[in-house]
Amino acid sequence: MTLVRMPSATAPASPTSRTRARRARAHRRPRVLIAVTGLFFALLYLPIAVVALFSFNSQKSLTVFDGFSLRWYRAFVHDDVLIASLGTSLRISLVAMAGSVILGVALALGLVRCRTRLGSLAGLVMLVPLITPEIVTGVASMLLFKGLGVPLSTATVMLAEITFSISYVTVILRSRVAALNPEVEEAAMDLGATRWQAVRLVTLPALLPAVLASAVLIFALVFDDFVLAYFTTGVDPQPLSVRIYSAIRFGVQPTINAVGTLMLAGSIALIALALFIPRLFGRRGGLDILSGK
Amino acid sequence: MDATPAVRLDGVSKQFADSYAVHRLDLDIEAGHFYSLLGPSGCGKTTTLRMIGGFSDPTEGSVLLAGEDVTGLPPNRRNVNTVFQSYALFDHLSIADNVGFGLKRRGVARAEIRQRVGEMLELVQLAGFADRRPRTLSGGQRQRVALARALVNRPAVLLLDEPLAALDLKLRRQMQVELKQIQREVGITFVFVTHDQDEALTMSDRIAVMNEGRIEQCGTPEDIYEHPATRFVASFMGTSNLMTGTYRDGEVALEKGPALPVGTRSDIADGSAVSVSVRPEKIWLSDFEPGMSMLSGVIRETVYSGPTTTYLIELAPGLTLSVLEQNTARARMEDRWSGGETVEFGWRPEHCLVLA
Repeated sequence: MTLVRMPSATAPASPTSRTRARRARAHRRPRVLIAVTGLFFALLYLPIAVVALFSFNSQKSLTVFDGFSLRWYRAFVHDDVLIASLGTSLRISLVAMAGSVILGVALALGLVRCRTRLGSLAGLVMLVPLITPEIVTGVASMLLFKGLGVPLSTATVMLAEITFSISYVTVILRSRVAALNPEVEEAAMDLGATRWQAVRLVTLPALLPAVLASAVLIFALVFDDFVLAYFTTGVDPQPLSVRIYSAIRFGVQPTINAVGTLMLAGSIALIALALFIPRLFGRRGGLDILSGK
Repeated sequence: MDATPAVRLDGVSKQFADSYAVHRLDLDIEAGHFYSLLGPSGCGKTTTLRMIGGFSDPTEGSVLLAGEDVTGLPPNRRNVNTVFQSYALFDHLSIADNVGFGLKRRGVARAEIRQRVGEMLELVQLAGFADRRPRTLSGGQRQRVALARALVNRPAVLLLDEPLAALDLKLRRQMQVELKQIQREVGITFVFVTHDQDEALTMSDRIAVMNEGRIEQCGTPEDIYEHPATRFVASFMGTSNLMTGTYRDGEVALEKGPALPVGTRSDIADGSAVSVSVRPEKIWLSDFEPGMSMLSGVIRETVYSGPTTTYLIELAPGLTLSVLEQNTARARMEDRWSGGETVEFGWRPEHCLVLA
């Protein structure tokens, strides 16, 4: 009872070649794994693919693809409410990006350099937003604004998004800051720079790839965000994600497919950019966490 | 030259928690000197340098540069520049922009910056590298950039924190010579921190040997080597035969050996415990002169190392001296001694130092 059937013309298999054959068989990719992986990706991406496909449908039907057309993209462009929401979302994303990057970089610098017990406590507390369910953060933010008597508006969404995003920026930047050589900043001061000039002229340029990468990431995350925006937004104009959700409650319009496809394309482009930026500077960047390198 | 020292430390201490990194240090560094702070790691030499540079404030005492009290001033307001151990180059800037950084901070005109950076790169032999990035340079080249970046500002004092430590031995030797030449050429006071006694001996005009936050001795390289003031200096600078004993009437009775004549010392009380130091190369094995202190011992080992041979001679049980002899034309190994032979040896009395 050999494990491997040898052709009769060849000599009987030596033990070594037999083990080699067994090992090779173990390494052959089992079909069941390929199937499971395929199913996983199908479940993940097929609905999205369907949305993208039907965004180009010439008919209103969401089940029968009639023919290629840009009709729903035109409808989106001429839908003032959706365009206004897109504008709101872009503004929220830009403000949240700028705010959280500035605060997050400052926090990362502070956490690395402040070696007190309070500093390391702050470093731990900073991670809490990453593990808190977003709906909790959303409800909490809403209750906070209500409690303070702040009317919900685009501004409250911006504040909530900034608060939520700082942790991401800090997590990305922290290891970069820790890897900086402290003598470099000292060298700048030695050569006549003030403390602030040393940070601006030497430290920030050294962190630039990670800063840009985290900025792009935050923009994409905030632009796509629904939960936090839903709880903290005012009436009009609502952010795009919230607007789409409201629209869907009255039946899915193919226009929404077009919007979804555009958002998807935009997000993919931004994430790709975030991964690519560090390579532009010829060094490992800030998104190693995402790319798994 | 002006009599005011370029650097003066006046009772300077640096205390971390409950221990002193530097303890009540007094130090004068004359302008134009190549001055080395030498000592083992943790002796406080780098802390001292950082206090001169303004990166660390003394907990006690004051730092004076050219007679002016600069204690508490930040680095950017002191007329000193530093060459860091890690070089600390700005990776996002070209070599020319690295070197011109200090001049630009001081608002020097662009044309002048370009000219002075060019001259300085010439001086450190990096003329063709102005547009390169630090990352593309070798260790030795980066070291020169760091030097040029500091020197271009024409500081009153240049501080160097073990700048050669990261280089391999051959490059290190070459840079030692170059650094000394550059220092002579520019005439700037160099304060050089090192743990390498050879480096300090070959490069310095003055050396301060530090140990546990204090200066053990300062002086010329020759002073320090030939007349170590303490047991620590004698053992840290090169090899020494250190023997302990008791001083009485111009003689030291060794714990494990005979009494050695050392000359009358009015500063040492009879009966005090002292150390005696004799350098291996000061011990003669032949051609003795009248007036030498003569002893005999048994050769335990001979170590041949090209130009010299080291003999380990047992003077008394548990007391072995190291003796260094030049392998000159008159002596071949087989003409000399081998293990187990008893030999006569001696030294001039002035080479036998008594250390309290």
